[in-house]
Amino acid sequence: MRNVGIILRREFRAYFDSPIAYIFMIVYLCVNTWLFMSGFFLAGVADMRGFFGNIPLFNTFFLPAVAMRLWAEDKKSGTMELLMTLPMKSWEVVLGKYLAALSFYGLTLLGTLTLPISLAILGNPDMGAIFAGYLGSVLLGAFFLAIGIFVSGLFKDQIAAFLVGSLLCLFFYLVGQDWVAAPIDGWIGGLGSFLQSHVGFWTHFESIERGVVDLKNLLYFATLTALFLLLNTLSLEGRRF
Amino acid sequence: MIRVEDVTKLYGPVHALDHVTFEVADRQVLGFLGPNGAGKSTAMKIITTYIAPSQGRVTVDDLDVSKFPIEVRRKIGYLPETNPLYPDMRTDDYLRFCGEARGLSGAALRERFHWVVEACGIQSVLKKNIHELSKGFKQRTGLAQALIHDPQILILDEPTSGLDPLQIIEIRRLVQELARSKTIVFSTHILQEVSATTDRIIIINEGRIIADGYISDLKNEAAGVTHVRATMSASRAAVEREVQQLAGLSGWSIVGEADNAVTVDLKSPLGSDLRRKVGELAARHNWPVLELTVPALSLEDAFIELIKKSDTARKHEKGSRAREVVRA
Repeated sequence: MRNVGIILRREFRAYFDSPIAYIFMIVYLCVNTWLFMSGFFLAGVADMRGFFGNIPLFNTFFLPAVAMRLWAEDKKSGTMELLMTLPMKSWEVVLGKYLAALSFYGLTLLGTLTLPISLAILGNPDMGAIFAGYLGSVLLGAFFLAIGIFVSGLFKDQIAAFLVGSLLCLFFYLVGQDWVAAPIDGWIGGLGSFLQSHVGFWTHFESIERGVVDLKNLLYFATLTALFLLLNTLSLEGRRF
Repeated sequence: MIRVEDVTKLYGPVHALDHVTFEVADRQVLGFLGPNGAGKSTAMKIITTYIAPSQGRVTVDDLDVSKFPIEVRRKIGYLPETNPLYPDMRTDDYLRFCGEARGLSGAALRERFHWVVEACGIQSVLKKNIHELSKGFKQRTGLAQALIHDPQILILDEPTSGLDPLQIIEIRRLVQELARSKTIVFSTHILQEVSATTDRIIIINEGRIIADGYISDLKNEAAGVTHVRATMSASRAAVEREVQQLAGLSGWSIVGEADNAVTVDLKSPLGSDLRRKVGELAARHNWPVLELTVPALSLEDAFIELIKKSDTARKHEKGSRAREVVRA
Protein backbone atom coordinates (compact mmCIF):
# COMPACT_ATOMS: atom_id res chain seq x y z
CA MET A 1 0.00 0.00 0.00
CA ARG A 2 2.93 2.32 0.60
CA ASN A 3 3.85 1.96 -3.07
CA VAL A 4 0.32 2.78 -4.19
CA GLY A 5 0.47 5.91 -2.06
CA ILE A 6 3.77 7.05 -3.57
CA ILE A 7 2.49 6.69 -7.13
CA LEU A 8 -0.86 8.25 -6.20
CA ARG A 9 0.80 11.33 -4.73
CA ARG A 10 3.03 11.92 -7.75
CA GLU A 11 0.29 11.39 -10.28
CA PHE A 12 -2.17 13.57 -8.43
CA ARG A 13 0.33 16.41 -8.24
CA ALA A 14 1.12 15.90 -11.92
CA TYR A 15 -2.44 16.97 -12.76
CA PHE A 16 -1.72 20.36 -11.27
CA ASP A 17 1.75 20.75 -12.76
CA SER A 18 0.14 21.94 -15.96
CA PRO A 19 -2.73 24.38 -16.41
CA ILE A 20 -4.85 21.73 -18.13
CA ALA A 21 -6.21 20.44 -14.82
CA TYR A 22 -7.52 23.86 -13.86
CA ILE A 23 -9.04 24.40 -17.27
CA PHE A 24 -10.75 21.02 -17.13
CA MET A 25 -12.15 21.70 -13.71
CA ILE A 26 -13.42 25.15 -14.56
CA VAL A 27 -15.05 23.98 -17.78
CA TYR A 28 -16.65 21.02 -16.00
CA LEU A 29 -18.03 23.14 -13.22
CA CYS A 30 -19.19 26.02 -15.43
CA VAL A 31 -20.92 23.89 -18.04
CA ASN A 32 -22.57 21.57 -15.56
CA THR A 33 -23.74 24.34 -13.30
CA TRP A 34 -24.94 26.43 -16.21
CA LEU A 35 -26.84 23.50 -17.77
CA PHE A 36 -28.53 22.92 -14.44
CA MET A 37 -29.24 26.51 -13.56
CA SER A 38 -30.67 27.43 -16.97
CA GLY A 39 -33.70 25.22 -16.31
CA PHE A 40 -33.76 25.53 -12.56
CA PHE A 41 -35.72 28.73 -12.15
CA LEU A 42 -38.24 27.70 -14.81
CA ALA A 43 -38.98 24.45 -13.02
CA GLY A 44 -38.83 25.99 -9.58
CA VAL A 45 -38.19 22.65 -7.88
CA ALA A 46 -35.44 22.28 -5.28
CA ASP A 47 -33.88 19.01 -6.46
CA MET A 48 -30.84 18.03 -8.52
CA ARG A 49 -32.38 15.45 -10.85
CA GLY A 50 -31.50 17.58 -13.84
CA PHE A 51 -27.92 17.91 -12.71
CA PHE A 52 -27.35 14.21 -12.23
CA GLY A 53 -29.17 13.48 -15.47
CA ASN A 54 -26.47 15.41 -17.34
CA ILE A 55 -23.58 13.69 -15.61
CA PRO A 56 -23.43 10.44 -17.68
CA LEU A 57 -23.09 12.05 -21.08
CA PHE A 58 -20.81 14.71 -19.72
CA ASN A 59 -18.53 12.16 -18.07
CA THR A 60 -18.40 10.15 -21.29
CA PHE A 61 -16.21 12.89 -22.69
CA PHE A 62 -14.74 14.47 -19.59
CA LEU A 63 -13.35 11.41 -17.85
CA PRO A 64 -11.50 9.84 -20.81
CA ALA A 65 -9.80 13.23 -21.08
CA VAL A 66 -8.78 13.00 -17.42
CA ALA A 67 -7.48 9.46 -17.84
CA MET A 68 -5.88 9.74 -21.28
CA ARG A 69 -2.49 10.88 -20.00
CA LEU A 70 -2.11 8.20 -17.33
CA TRP A 71 -0.05 5.80 -19.44
CA ALA A 72 0.16 7.43 -22.86
CA GLU A 73 2.26 10.26 -21.44
CA ASP A 74 4.71 7.87 -19.78
CA LYS A 75 5.00 5.88 -22.96
CA LYS A 76 5.79 8.95 -24.99
CA SER A 77 8.25 10.55 -22.59
CA GLY A 78 10.17 7.39 -21.66
CA THR A 79 9.20 7.41 -17.98
CA MET A 80 7.44 4.11 -18.66
CA GLU A 81 10.82 2.42 -18.34
CA LEU A 82 11.35 4.05 -14.97
CA LEU A 83 7.94 3.01 -13.66
CA MET A 84 8.18 -0.54 -14.95
CA THR A 85 11.63 -1.11 -13.45
CA LEU A 86 10.71 0.17 -9.99
CA PRO A 87 10.59 -2.54 -7.33
CA MET A 88 6.79 -2.52 -7.38
CA LYS A 89 4.11 -4.83 -8.69
CA SER A 90 2.31 -3.68 -11.82
CA TRP A 91 -1.03 -3.56 -10.04
CA GLU A 92 0.38 -1.19 -7.45
CA VAL A 93 1.37 1.29 -10.14
CA VAL A 94 -1.99 0.84 -11.89
CA LEU A 95 -3.90 1.41 -8.67
CA GLY A 96 -1.80 4.44 -7.74
CA LYS A 97 -2.40 6.10 -11.09
CA TYR A 98 -6.07 5.16 -11.08
CA LEU A 99 -6.68 6.53 -7.60
CA ALA A 100 -4.94 9.76 -8.58
CA ALA A 101 -7.40 10.21 -11.45
CA LEU A 102 -10.30 9.27 -9.19
CA SER A 103 -9.17 11.81 -6.59
CA PHE A 104 -9.00 14.46 -9.26
CA TYR A 105 -12.54 13.64 -10.33
CA GLY A 106 -13.64 13.61 -6.69
CA LEU A 107 -12.15 17.04 -6.21
CA THR A 108 -14.07 18.31 -9.24
CA LEU A 109 -17.30 16.87 -7.85
CA LEU A 110 -16.59 18.62 -4.56
CA GLY A 111 -16.66 21.83 -6.55
CA THR A 112 -20.27 21.18 -7.50
CA LEU A 113 -21.32 21.11 -3.83
CA THR A 114 -22.19 24.77 -4.28
CA LEU A 115 -25.42 23.55 -5.89
CA PRO A 116 -26.85 21.50 -3.00
CA ILE A 117 -25.76 24.23 -0.61
CA SER A 118 -27.63 26.85 -2.62
CA LEU A 119 -30.64 24.55 -2.81
CA ALA A 120 -30.62 24.08 0.94
CA ILE A 121 -30.66 27.85 1.37
CA LEU A 122 -33.39 28.44 -1.22
CA GLY A 123 -35.72 25.58 -0.41
CA ASN A 124 -35.99 22.27 1.28
CA PRO A 125 -34.40 19.66 -1.00
CA ASP A 126 -34.34 15.91 -0.34
CA MET A 127 -30.76 15.50 0.88
CA GLY A 128 -31.00 11.70 0.66
CA ALA A 129 -31.70 11.90 -3.06
CA ILE A 130 -28.82 14.31 -3.55
CA PHE A 131 -26.48 12.04 -1.66
CA ALA A 132 -27.61 9.08 -3.79
CA GLY A 133 -27.01 11.16 -6.89
CA TYR A 134 -23.47 11.90 -5.81
CA LEU A 135 -22.89 8.24 -5.00
CA GLY A 136 -24.05 7.30 -8.50
CA SER A 137 -21.78 9.94 -10.02
CA VAL A 138 -18.76 8.65 -8.10
CA LEU A 139 -19.47 5.05 -9.09
CA LEU A 140 -19.98 6.00 -12.71
CA GLY A 141 -16.79 8.07 -12.62
CA ALA A 142 -14.85 5.17 -11.12
CA PHE A 143 -16.07 2.95 -13.96
CA PHE A 144 -15.26 5.45 -16.72
CA LEU A 145 -11.82 6.18 -15.31
CA ALA A 146 -11.08 2.44 -15.27
CA ILE A 147 -12.00 2.34 -18.96
CA GLY A 148 -9.87 5.42 -19.51
CA ILE A 149 -6.75 4.09 -17.81
CA PHE A 150 -7.05 0.78 -19.63
CA VAL A 151 -7.32 2.48 -23.02
CA SER A 152 -4.48 4.86 -22.15
CA GLY A 153 -2.29 1.81 -21.59
CA LEU A 154 -2.85 0.74 -25.16
CA PHE A 155 -1.74 3.97 -26.79
CA LYS A 156 1.28 6.18 -27.02
CA ASP A 157 -0.83 9.06 -28.21
CA GLN A 158 -3.09 10.82 -25.74
CA ILE A 159 -5.59 11.96 -28.35
CA ALA A 160 -6.03 8.40 -29.59
CA ALA A 161 -6.51 7.24 -25.99
CA PHE A 162 -9.09 9.97 -25.47
CA LEU A 163 -11.08 9.15 -28.60
CA VAL A 164 -11.14 5.39 -28.07
CA GLY A 165 -11.89 5.83 -24.38
CA SER A 166 -14.81 8.12 -25.17
CA LEU A 167 -16.17 5.70 -27.74
CA LEU A 168 -16.00 2.86 -25.25
CA CYS A 169 -17.79 4.92 -22.59
CA LEU A 170 -20.33 5.97 -25.20
CA PHE A 171 -20.94 2.31 -26.00
CA PHE A 172 -21.80 1.55 -22.36
CA TYR A 173 -24.02 4.64 -22.38
CA LEU A 174 -25.89 3.82 -25.59
CA VAL A 175 -26.64 0.14 -24.97
CA GLY A 176 -28.41 1.21 -21.79
CA GLN A 177 -30.89 3.41 -23.69
CA ASP A 178 -34.39 2.28 -24.63
CA TRP A 179 -34.13 3.67 -28.15
CA VAL A 180 -31.02 1.57 -28.75
CA ALA A 181 -32.20 -1.57 -26.94
CA ALA A 182 -35.56 -1.71 -28.74
CA PRO A 183 -34.23 -1.97 -32.31
CA ILE A 184 -31.59 -4.53 -31.23
CA ASP A 185 -34.36 -6.59 -29.68
CA GLY A 186 -36.11 -6.33 -33.04
CA TRP A 187 -33.14 -7.95 -34.82
CA ILE A 188 -32.19 -10.57 -32.26
CA GLY A 189 -34.87 -11.21 -29.69
CA GLY A 190 -33.73 -10.47 -26.14
CA LEU A 191 -30.22 -9.24 -26.97
CA GLY A 192 -31.16 -5.60 -26.67
CA SER A 193 -32.78 -6.00 -23.25
CA PHE A 194 -29.92 -8.18 -22.06
CA LEU A 195 -27.36 -5.55 -23.05
CA GLN A 196 -29.52 -2.83 -21.56
CA SER A 197 -29.78 -4.44 -18.14
CA HIS A 198 -26.40 -6.15 -17.86
CA VAL A 199 -23.94 -4.15 -19.96
CA GLY A 200 -25.33 -0.65 -20.21
CA PHE A 201 -25.03 1.47 -17.08
CA TRP A 202 -28.14 3.61 -17.49
CA THR A 203 -30.58 1.47 -15.49
CA HIS A 204 -28.04 0.97 -12.69
CA PHE A 205 -27.12 4.62 -12.57
CA GLU A 206 -30.74 5.68 -12.55
CA SER A 207 -31.75 3.30 -9.78
CA ILE A 208 -28.92 4.49 -7.57
CA GLU A 209 -29.80 8.09 -8.34
CA ARG A 210 -33.40 7.36 -7.35
CA GLY A 211 -32.07 6.03 -4.06
CA VAL A 212 -32.10 2.29 -4.82
CA VAL A 213 -28.63 1.49 -3.57
CA ASP A 214 -28.87 -2.30 -3.78
CA LEU A 215 -26.23 -4.95 -4.27
CA LYS A 216 -27.06 -5.55 -7.92
CA ASN A 217 -26.34 -1.95 -8.88
CA LEU A 218 -23.22 -1.70 -6.75
CA LEU A 219 -21.92 -5.00 -8.11
CA TYR A 220 -22.41 -3.82 -11.67
CA PHE A 221 -20.08 -0.85 -11.18
CA ALA A 222 -17.62 -2.72 -8.95
CA THR A 223 -17.27 -5.62 -11.38
CA LEU A 224 -16.74 -3.55 -14.49
CA THR A 225 -14.35 -1.18 -12.73
CA ALA A 226 -12.30 -4.10 -11.41
CA LEU A 227 -12.39 -5.78 -14.81
CA PHE A 228 -10.89 -2.80 -16.62
CA LEU A 229 -8.24 -2.28 -13.94
CA LEU A 230 -7.35 -5.96 -14.23
CA LEU A 231 -7.19 -5.68 -18.02
CA ASN A 232 -4.89 -2.69 -17.61
CA THR A 233 -2.56 -4.65 -15.32
CA LEU A 234 -2.57 -7.62 -17.68
CA SER A 235 -1.80 -5.47 -20.69
CA LEU A 236 1.19 -4.01 -18.82
CA GLU A 237 2.44 -7.46 -17.91
CA GLY A 238 1.86 -8.65 -21.47
CA ARG A 239 3.87 -5.77 -22.88
CA ARG A 240 7.07 -7.40 -21.61
CA PHE A 241 6.77 -10.35 -23.99
CA MET B 1 27.16 -11.11 -11.03
CA ILE B 2 25.03 -10.88 -14.15
CA ARG B 3 24.67 -14.01 -16.22
CA VAL B 4 23.04 -13.99 -19.64
CA GLU B 5 22.59 -17.49 -20.98
CA ASP B 6 21.64 -18.17 -24.57
CA VAL B 7 19.15 -15.32 -24.72
CA THR B 8 17.05 -14.68 -27.79
CA LYS B 9 14.58 -11.84 -28.15
CA LEU B 10 12.20 -11.76 -31.05
CA TYR B 11 10.24 -8.71 -32.13
CA GLY B 12 7.90 -10.44 -34.52
CA PRO B 13 10.20 -12.22 -36.94
CA VAL B 14 13.14 -9.94 -36.16
CA HIS B 15 15.91 -11.30 -33.94
CA ALA B 16 16.78 -8.34 -31.73
CA LEU B 17 19.04 -10.75 -29.84
CA ASP B 18 20.16 -14.05 -31.26
CA HIS B 19 21.50 -16.63 -28.79
CA VAL B 20 23.53 -14.21 -26.73
CA THR B 21 25.63 -15.46 -23.82
CA PHE B 22 27.89 -13.45 -21.54
CA GLU B 23 28.73 -12.78 -17.92
CA VAL B 24 29.62 -9.72 -15.92
CA ALA B 25 31.53 -10.33 -12.71
CA ASP B 26 31.04 -8.24 -9.59
CA ARG B 27 32.70 -4.83 -9.73
CA GLN B 28 33.49 -5.24 -13.39
CA VAL B 29 32.86 -2.48 -15.90
CA LEU B 30 31.56 -3.73 -19.20
CA GLY B 31 31.20 -1.58 -22.28
CA PHE B 32 28.56 -2.58 -24.77
CA LEU B 33 29.45 -1.50 -28.28
CA GLY B 34 27.64 -1.75 -31.53
CA PRO B 35 25.93 0.19 -34.26
CA ASN B 36 22.44 1.55 -33.67
CA GLY B 37 19.86 -1.20 -33.66
CA ALA B 38 22.40 -3.91 -32.86
CA GLY B 39 20.58 -5.11 -29.76
CA LYS B 40 22.44 -3.24 -27.00
CA SER B 41 19.34 -1.63 -25.55
CA THR B 42 17.36 -4.86 -25.86
CA ALA B 43 19.96 -6.71 -23.80
CA MET B 44 19.87 -4.01 -21.14
CA LYS B 45 16.08 -3.95 -21.05
CA ILE B 46 16.07 -7.68 -20.43
CA ILE B 47 18.59 -7.45 -17.59
CA THR B 48 16.54 -4.68 -15.95
CA THR B 49 13.34 -6.78 -16.34
CA TYR B 50 11.69 -4.15 -18.53
CA ILE B 51 11.12 -6.79 -21.18
CA ALA B 52 11.26 -10.56 -20.99
CA PRO B 53 13.50 -12.72 -23.16
CA SER B 54 11.79 -14.93 -25.75
CA GLN B 55 14.25 -17.69 -24.95
CA GLY B 56 17.13 -18.26 -22.58
CA ARG B 57 17.79 -17.25 -19.00
CA VAL B 58 19.13 -14.15 -17.31
CA THR B 59 20.18 -14.16 -13.67
CA VAL B 60 21.34 -11.32 -11.46
CA ASP B 61 23.15 -12.61 -8.36
CA ASP B 62 21.63 -16.02 -9.11
CA LEU B 63 18.09 -14.57 -9.17
CA ASP B 64 16.20 -15.35 -12.35
CA VAL B 65 14.90 -12.05 -13.75
CA SER B 66 11.68 -13.67 -14.94
CA LYS B 67 10.88 -15.25 -11.58
CA PHE B 68 12.09 -12.58 -9.16
CA PRO B 69 11.72 -9.28 -11.04
CA ILE B 70 11.09 -7.18 -7.92
CA GLU B 71 14.20 -8.48 -6.11
CA VAL B 72 16.31 -7.95 -9.22
CA ARG B 73 15.01 -4.41 -9.68
CA ARG B 74 16.05 -3.57 -6.11
CA LYS B 75 19.66 -4.34 -6.99
CA ILE B 76 19.75 -2.36 -10.20
CA GLY B 77 20.01 1.31 -11.03
CA TYR B 78 18.97 1.95 -14.61
CA LEU B 79 19.36 4.90 -16.92
CA PRO B 80 17.46 4.06 -20.12
CA GLU B 81 18.39 5.46 -23.50
CA THR B 82 15.49 7.90 -23.32
CA ASN B 83 16.09 9.70 -20.07
CA PRO B 84 13.02 8.92 -17.92
CA LEU B 85 12.34 12.40 -16.55
CA TYR B 86 9.04 14.10 -15.76
CA PRO B 87 9.50 17.47 -17.46
CA ASP B 88 6.91 19.24 -15.31
CA MET B 89 8.43 18.12 -12.01
CA ARG B 90 11.05 19.96 -10.03
CA THR B 91 14.42 18.23 -9.90
CA ASP B 92 14.36 17.73 -6.12
CA ASP B 93 10.76 16.46 -6.16
CA TYR B 94 11.66 14.05 -8.92
CA LEU B 95 14.64 12.63 -7.05
CA ARG B 96 12.64 12.32 -3.85
CA PHE B 97 9.90 10.50 -5.74
CA CYS B 98 12.46 8.09 -7.23
CA GLY B 99 13.98 7.51 -3.80
CA GLU B 100 10.64 6.83 -2.15
CA ALA B 101 9.55 4.58 -4.99
CA ARG B 102 12.77 2.65 -4.40
CA GLY B 103 11.84 2.11 -0.79
CA LEU B 104 13.81 4.90 0.87
CA SER B 105 12.35 7.20 3.49
CA GLY B 106 13.27 9.49 6.35
CA ALA B 107 16.92 9.92 7.21
CA ALA B 108 18.09 7.29 4.74
CA LEU B 109 16.39 9.14 1.91
CA ARG B 110 17.84 12.48 3.01
CA GLU B 111 21.31 11.02 3.20
CA ARG B 112 21.14 9.38 -0.25
CA PHE B 113 19.54 12.51 -1.69
CA HIS B 114 22.46 14.66 -0.56
CA TRP B 115 24.95 12.10 -1.79
CA VAL B 116 23.57 11.93 -5.34
CA VAL B 117 23.09 15.68 -5.55
CA GLU B 118 26.75 16.09 -4.62
CA ALA B 119 28.05 13.25 -6.79
CA CYS B 120 26.13 14.30 -9.88
CA GLY B 121 26.68 18.03 -9.34
CA ILE B 122 23.05 19.10 -9.60
CA GLN B 123 22.92 21.36 -6.54
CA SER B 124 22.27 24.43 -8.66
CA VAL B 125 19.21 23.06 -10.47
CA LEU B 126 17.36 21.39 -7.60
CA LYS B 127 14.63 24.03 -7.46
CA LYS B 128 14.15 24.21 -11.22
CA ASN B 129 11.58 22.42 -13.31
CA ILE B 130 13.20 19.62 -15.24
CA HIS B 131 12.09 20.93 -18.64
CA GLU B 132 14.16 24.07 -18.00
CA LEU B 133 17.39 22.12 -17.57
CA SER B 134 20.13 21.86 -20.17
CA LYS B 135 20.79 18.52 -21.77
CA GLY B 136 23.80 17.96 -19.54
CA PHE B 137 21.90 18.61 -16.34
CA LYS B 138 19.05 16.42 -17.53
CA GLN B 139 21.47 13.59 -18.10
CA ARG B 140 22.99 14.09 -14.65
CA THR B 141 19.54 14.07 -13.10
CA GLY B 142 18.84 10.81 -14.92
CA LEU B 143 22.04 9.40 -13.52
CA ALA B 144 21.16 10.64 -10.04
CA GLN B 145 17.84 8.81 -10.33
CA ALA B 146 19.69 5.58 -11.13
CA LEU B 147 22.00 6.04 -8.14
CA ILE B 148 19.57 7.17 -5.47
CA HIS B 149 19.09 3.76 -3.88
CA ASP B 150 22.82 2.96 -3.94
CA PRO B 151 22.42 -0.06 -6.25
CA GLN B 152 25.12 -2.70 -6.58
CA ILE B 153 24.57 -2.78 -10.32
CA LEU B 154 24.34 0.14 -12.70
CA ILE B 155 22.93 -0.25 -16.19
CA LEU B 156 23.54 2.86 -18.29
CA ASP B 157 22.19 2.97 -21.83
CA GLU B 158 24.22 5.53 -23.77
CA PRO B 159 24.80 7.78 -20.77
CA THR B 160 26.78 10.35 -22.73
CA SER B 161 24.76 10.62 -25.92
CA GLY B 162 24.09 14.18 -26.93
CA LEU B 163 26.46 15.72 -24.42
CA ASP B 164 29.28 18.11 -25.22
CA PRO B 165 32.89 16.98 -24.71
CA LEU B 166 33.23 18.59 -21.28
CA GLN B 167 30.06 16.99 -20.02
CA ILE B 168 31.17 13.66 -21.44
CA ILE B 169 34.39 13.88 -19.45
CA GLU B 170 32.44 14.64 -16.28
CA ILE B 171 30.09 11.69 -16.69
CA ARG B 172 33.03 9.47 -17.56
CA ARG B 173 34.86 10.55 -14.42
CA LEU B 174 31.80 9.78 -12.32
CA VAL B 175 31.45 6.34 -13.89
CA GLN B 176 35.12 5.63 -13.23
CA GLU B 177 34.68 6.61 -9.61
CA LEU B 178 31.59 4.45 -9.23
CA ALA B 179 33.36 1.56 -10.90
CA ARG B 180 35.43 1.04 -7.76
CA SER B 181 32.44 -0.24 -5.84
CA LYS B 182 29.81 -1.22 -8.39
CA THR B 183 29.16 -3.49 -11.30
CA ILE B 184 28.55 -1.31 -14.33
CA VAL B 185 27.23 -2.16 -17.76
CA PHE B 186 27.05 0.73 -20.17
CA SER B 187 26.45 0.99 -23.86
CA THR B 188 27.76 3.47 -26.34
CA HIS B 189 28.59 3.85 -29.95
CA ILE B 190 31.36 6.30 -29.20
CA LEU B 191 34.52 4.27 -29.15
CA GLN B 192 36.83 6.52 -27.18
CA GLU B 193 34.40 6.16 -24.39
CA VAL B 194 35.05 2.49 -23.84
CA SER B 195 38.78 2.88 -23.98
CA ALA B 196 38.51 5.68 -21.44
CA THR B 197 36.29 3.97 -18.91
CA THR B 198 36.63 0.26 -19.20
CA ASP B 199 38.83 -2.44 -20.48
CA ARG B 200 36.36 -5.18 -21.16
CA ILE B 201 34.02 -4.72 -24.08
CA ILE B 202 31.40 -6.69 -25.90
CA ILE B 203 30.75 -5.80 -29.49
CA ILE B 204 27.33 -6.70 -30.71
CA ASN B 205 25.97 -6.55 -34.24
CA GLU B 206 22.60 -7.63 -35.59
CA GLY B 207 21.73 -9.25 -32.28
CA ARG B 208 24.88 -11.35 -32.01
CA ILE B 209 28.01 -10.96 -29.97
CA ILE B 210 30.86 -10.68 -32.43
CA ALA B 211 33.62 -9.96 -29.95
CA ASP B 212 33.99 -10.22 -26.19
CA GLY B 213 37.24 -9.45 -24.48
CA TYR B 214 39.83 -6.85 -23.61
CA ILE B 215 40.49 -3.93 -25.89
CA SER B 216 44.08 -4.91 -26.71
CA ASP B 217 43.02 -8.43 -27.72
CA LEU B 218 40.23 -7.15 -29.87
CA LYS B 219 42.54 -4.83 -31.73
CA ASN B 220 44.76 -7.73 -32.67
CA GLU B 221 41.84 -9.90 -33.63
CA ALA B 222 40.44 -7.19 -35.83
CA ALA B 223 43.79 -6.27 -37.30
CA GLY B 224 44.85 -9.31 -39.32
CA VAL B 225 46.57 -6.91 -41.70
CA THR B 226 49.61 -4.76 -41.46
CA HIS B 227 49.22 -1.28 -42.67
CA VAL B 228 51.74 1.28 -43.90
CA ARG B 229 51.28 4.82 -45.10
CA ALA B 230 54.02 6.27 -47.26
CA THR B 231 54.46 9.71 -48.77
CA MET B 232 56.89 9.73 -51.67
CA SER B 233 58.01 12.40 -54.05
CA ALA B 234 56.86 10.88 -57.33
CA SER B 235 54.16 11.18 -59.94
CA ARG B 236 50.85 9.58 -59.21
CA ALA B 237 50.82 7.56 -62.40
CA ALA B 238 54.24 6.05 -61.68
CA VAL B 239 53.33 5.13 -58.14
CA GLU B 240 50.06 3.56 -59.23
CA ARG B 241 51.81 1.53 -61.91
CA GLU B 242 54.55 0.24 -59.62
CA VAL B 243 52.39 -0.45 -56.56
CA GLN B 244 50.07 -2.49 -58.70
CA GLN B 245 52.96 -4.81 -59.48
CA LEU B 246 54.00 -5.32 -55.86
CA ALA B 247 53.41 -8.88 -54.75
CA GLY B 248 51.67 -9.88 -51.53
CA LEU B 249 49.40 -6.86 -50.99
CA SER B 250 45.87 -7.30 -49.74
CA GLY B 251 44.92 -3.79 -50.71
CA TRP B 252 46.21 -0.31 -51.51
CA SER B 253 44.93 3.16 -52.27
CA ILE B 254 46.20 6.63 -53.01
CA VAL B 255 45.07 8.79 -50.14
CA GLY B 256 46.68 12.13 -50.96
CA GLU B 257 48.52 14.06 -53.60
CA ALA B 258 50.27 17.38 -53.05
CA ASP B 259 53.44 19.26 -54.14
CA ASN B 260 54.68 16.51 -56.41
CA ALA B 261 54.27 13.98 -53.62
CA VAL B 262 51.90 11.06 -53.42
CA THR B 263 50.61 9.45 -50.24
CA VAL B 264 49.72 5.82 -50.58
CA ASP B 265 48.18 3.37 -48.13
CA LEU B 266 49.31 -0.24 -48.37
CA LYS B 267 47.89 -3.22 -46.60
CA SER B 268 49.13 -6.77 -46.45
CA PRO B 269 48.19 -9.89 -44.52
CA LEU B 270 49.86 -10.37 -41.15
CA GLY B 271 53.47 -11.51 -41.11
CA SER B 272 55.11 -9.61 -43.92
CA ASP B 273 57.03 -6.41 -43.27
CA LEU B 274 55.59 -3.83 -45.57
CA ARG B 275 58.05 -1.11 -44.55
CA ARG B 276 60.88 -3.01 -46.18
CA LYS B 277 58.89 -3.47 -49.38
CA VAL B 278 58.08 0.21 -49.59
CA GLY B 279 61.68 1.14 -48.90
CA GLU B 280 62.92 -1.12 -51.65
CA LEU B 281 60.32 0.18 -54.09
CA ALA B 282 61.33 3.77 -53.44
CA ALA B 283 65.04 2.97 -53.74
CA ARG B 284 64.54 1.15 -57.02
CA HIS B 285 62.83 4.15 -58.60
CA ASN B 286 64.80 6.81 -56.81
CA TRP B 287 61.72 8.29 -55.13
CA PRO B 288 62.63 10.28 -52.02
CA VAL B 289 60.51 9.00 -49.17
CA LEU B 290 59.16 12.01 -47.29
CA GLU B 291 57.24 10.10 -44.68
CA LEU B 292 56.66 6.50 -43.71
CA THR B 293 54.22 5.70 -40.92
CA VAL B 294 52.63 2.60 -39.49
CA PRO B 295 49.24 3.79 -38.35
CA ALA B 296 48.27 2.00 -35.16
CA LEU B 297 44.95 0.29 -35.51
CA SER B 298 42.56 2.48 -33.58
CA LEU B 299 39.54 1.18 -31.80
CA GLU B 300 37.44 2.69 -34.60
CA ASP B 301 39.24 0.59 -37.19
CA ALA B 302 38.99 -2.49 -35.00
CA PHE B 303 35.29 -1.89 -34.60
CA ILE B 304 34.66 -1.36 -38.28
CA GLU B 305 36.75 -4.38 -39.21
CA LEU B 306 34.88 -6.62 -36.78
CA ILE B 307 31.50 -5.43 -37.98
CA LYS B 308 32.54 -5.98 -41.58
CA LYS B 309 33.80 -9.45 -40.76
CA SER B 310 30.58 -10.39 -39.03
CA ASP B 311 28.53 -9.05 -41.92
CA THR B 312 30.43 -11.05 -44.50
CA ALA B 313 30.32 -14.13 -42.29
CA ARG B 314 26.60 -13.76 -42.02
CA LYS B 315 26.13 -13.24 -45.76
CA HIS B 316 28.24 -16.31 -46.33
CA GLU B 317 26.13 -18.29 -43.91
CA LYS B 318 22.93 -17.13 -45.53
CA GLY B 319 24.34 -18.02 -48.93
CA SER B 320 25.28 -21.54 -47.88
CA ARG B 321 21.91 -21.98 -46.23
CA ALA B 322 20.24 -20.91 -49.45
CA ARG B 323 22.40 -23.33 -51.43
CA GLU B 324 21.41 -26.15 -49.09
CA VAL B 325 17.77 -25.32 -49.63
CA VAL B 326 18.29 -25.37 -53.39
CA ARG B 327 20.05 -28.73 -53.17
CA ALA B 328 17.34 -30.20 -51.00
